[in-house]
Amino acid sequence: MEKILEVNDLELSFHTFAGEVKAIRGVNFDLKKGETLAIVGESGSGKSVTTKAIMRLLPESSSEFKNGQILFNGKDLTKLSDKEMQKIRGKDISMIFQDPMTSLNPTMTIGNQIMEPILKHQKVSKTEARKVAVDLLRLVGMPKPEARIKQYPHQFSGGQRQRIVIAIALACNPQILIADEPTTALDVTIQAQILELMKDLQKKIDTSIIFITHDLGVVANVADRVAVMYGGKIVEIGTVDEIFYNPQHPYTWGLLSSMPSLDTAEAKLYAIPGTPPDLLYPPKGDAFALRSDYALKIDLEEAPPFFKVSDTHSAATWLLHPDAPEVEPPLAIVERMKKFPGSRYYEGTEGGTY
Amino acid sequence: MAEKLLEIKNLKQYFNQGKPNEVRAVDDISFDIYKGETLGLVGESGCGKSTTGRTIIRLYDATDGQVIYDGINVHDKKSKNDLKTFNRKMQMIFQDPYASLNPRMKVLDIIAEGLDIHGLVKNSKERKERVVELLETVGLNREHADRYAHEFSGGQRQRLGIARALAVNPEFIIADEPISALDVSIQAQVVNLLKELQEEKGLTYLFIAHDLSMVKYISDRIGVMYFGKLVELAPAEDLYNNPMHPYTQSLLSAIPLPDPNYERTRVRKSYDPASHNYQDGEEIAMREVTPGHFVYCSEKEFATLQAISN
Ligand SMILES: Nc1ncnc2c1ncn2[C@@H]1O[C@H](COP(=O)(O)OP(=O)(O)O)[C@@H](O)[C@H]1O
Ligand SMILES: Nc1ncnc2c1ncn2[C@@H]1O[C@H](COP(=O)(O)OP(=O)(O)O)[C@@H](O)[C@H]1O
Ligand SMILES: [Mg+2]
Ligand SMILES: [Mg+2]
Repeated sequence: MEKILEVNDLELSFHTFAGEVKAIRGVNFDLKKGETLAIVGESGSGKSVTTKAIMRLLPESSSEFKNGQILFNGKDLTKLSDKEMQKIRGKDISMIFQDPMTSLNPTMTIGNQIMEPILKHQKVSKTEARKVAVDLLRLVGMPKPEARIKQYPHQFSGGQRQRIVIAIALACNPQILIADEPTTALDVTIQAQILELMKDLQKKIDTSIIFITHDLGVVANVADRVAVMYGGKIVEIGTVDEIFYNPQHPYTWGLLSSMPSLDTAEAKLYAIPGTPPDLLYPPKGDAFALRSDYALKIDLEEAPPFFKVSDTHSAATWLLHPDAPEVEPPLAIVERMKKFPGSRYYEGTEGGTY
Repeated sequence: MAEKLLEIKNLKQYFNQGKPNEVRAVDDISFDIYKGETLGLVGESGCGKSTTGRTIIRLYDATDGQVIYDGINVHDKKSKNDLKTFNRKMQMIFQDPYASLNPRMKVLDIIAEGLDIHGLVKNSKERKERVVELLETVGLNREHADRYAHEFSGGQRQRLGIARALAVNPEFIIADEPISALDVSIQAQVVNLLKELQEEKGLTYLFIAHDLSMVKYISDRIGVMYFGKLVELAPAEDLYNNPMHPYTQSLLSAIPLPDPNYERTRVRKSYDPASHNYQDGEEIAMREVTPGHFVYCSEKEFATLQAISN
């Protein structure tokens, strides 16, 4: 599949009173045309900063771009002037945030807000733009769009506002849509509707989506591929099946084990002990080592490189080094691996349901 | 059957009663809470979960109905002393650990607030010792006592909220979405802590949540609310395996699980309140379909549900 975005060796810091916060410490991934890549990881792991860097939305005064490339259709976004970037933002790449109220202007009708990017980026008349706005609202499932474009954000429910934000983001048929926790503030039934809507729209306009969330259920629902972030780095990346049924990094193990499973009545939930690393003083080796039951001596000394598990799956853990001892993953993970052809715990016959 | 700690009878909480903007936030609900159990309360935002909790603990006066705690109606007129005793027995933990702790107060004073109000410590040395003990109970330590709430992470603040609730040795804790604002791995830590404390101290919980995966894990029984009404109440396992009210079925079918294979085949059901086709004069009420499994339904629906269940 065609790559639409490539992030190479991205390193980024914030300068604060306390010192340099090394928020992104070498991030690599690509995004293919029409796919959904989910980024998961606990708060502070660098999910939002990574995507804000792509959009060039970080505060200029306190953030420092240290290294890397962000190639959009082969063009390095880090090298563009602000003016050139403005032409891309909201047109080729657009973004939706967790709280729709922060991205909507309370004093402007929603019709005008949807028309704004259309008028800015496309050579169309106001009448035409209004027509597009109505069509977009209908597309995102808003009843009576002709009447409702004249209303203000406070006249809509939370779920409806998120639909409006999606309509704005889609106004110029973006090639990439970045969604940062778009359903976290919503109820499950509304969330389900929004997720269905996004998948539906993706099919229609063939957008690529970067979907940030900490909800692993949502990830399993929307993602084609998943990147797991920890302490400013991606620690594992693979297809959604590879990450959920054949995870390799101990952090991914911990994340997946801390969700209660449906059918077991565990006495106690697995909880990853300790706290995330302080990025003012990032640890030398594997940032997760101090919280991991599986840490090797080398984890404290040297950061692990990526080891390839398959053509689509790699993980940055020394456990995958040929000389590493073979370890037994947590029980809940072994249960998952039993379902995955190619894992050493696989219990089915090849060519079964997969 | 276990002993009842609370009986909630025909509880109503109407805001702006009689005015055009009247909201029937809690509309005639009845249920019991047993000693030592965790009763989960779920439903979409605005359905009345928090109002139910707040009315039980008397943050609001009930519009109508009774809350009977250990045989005594909480909402009756009472002496100051009796009220104080109730306040000590029932405590609340809130969703937003940021908003519910005063950032300019020291942890020591935040946690000791209840101790001071109820005169549970004699001097400042005893006060400090009790606070340290509470901090250790929730997995924090002595050094934390002199810090300010804003210096703590979300999960730590929720631990502070729990320590503050525990300070007065309550019997019953209402936890209103205590983990909704936390990361998955931190949620697991807090849920484990709540479970441990329950075992140690024999606490009873009303656990309010809109995230349904953890609720099943922590609850013995679960109640489902819809627009101010309780529409289903059943043992946790039973509710998930055999939801009977169409709203519960819809709610459960909307939850995404961390299992891509399941997600590929999950079919979402939507709920249309009109689908009941209730006739004028039909009595809709909580009826016990199978032992301990209550559904808000008509006599006719009840007959159908019973036929299916047997
Ligand atoms: N404007 C900022 N100034 C200083 N530090 C920041 C700023 N924005 C983010 N950070 C830090 O960068 C790290 C990554 O943050 P973020 O990408 O927002 O995490 P998340 O994965 O929760 O989205 C965190 O340690 C955060 O504190
Ligand atoms: N103090 C109040 N005054 C008026 N209406 C209120 C008040 N508190 C809650 N409500 C309304 O009561 C209903 C139930 O709210 P709430 O109990 O907070 O729901 P939940 O906790 O299930 O999200 C909502 O419609 C809400 O807007
Ligand atoms: Mg973020
Ligand atoms: Mg609430």
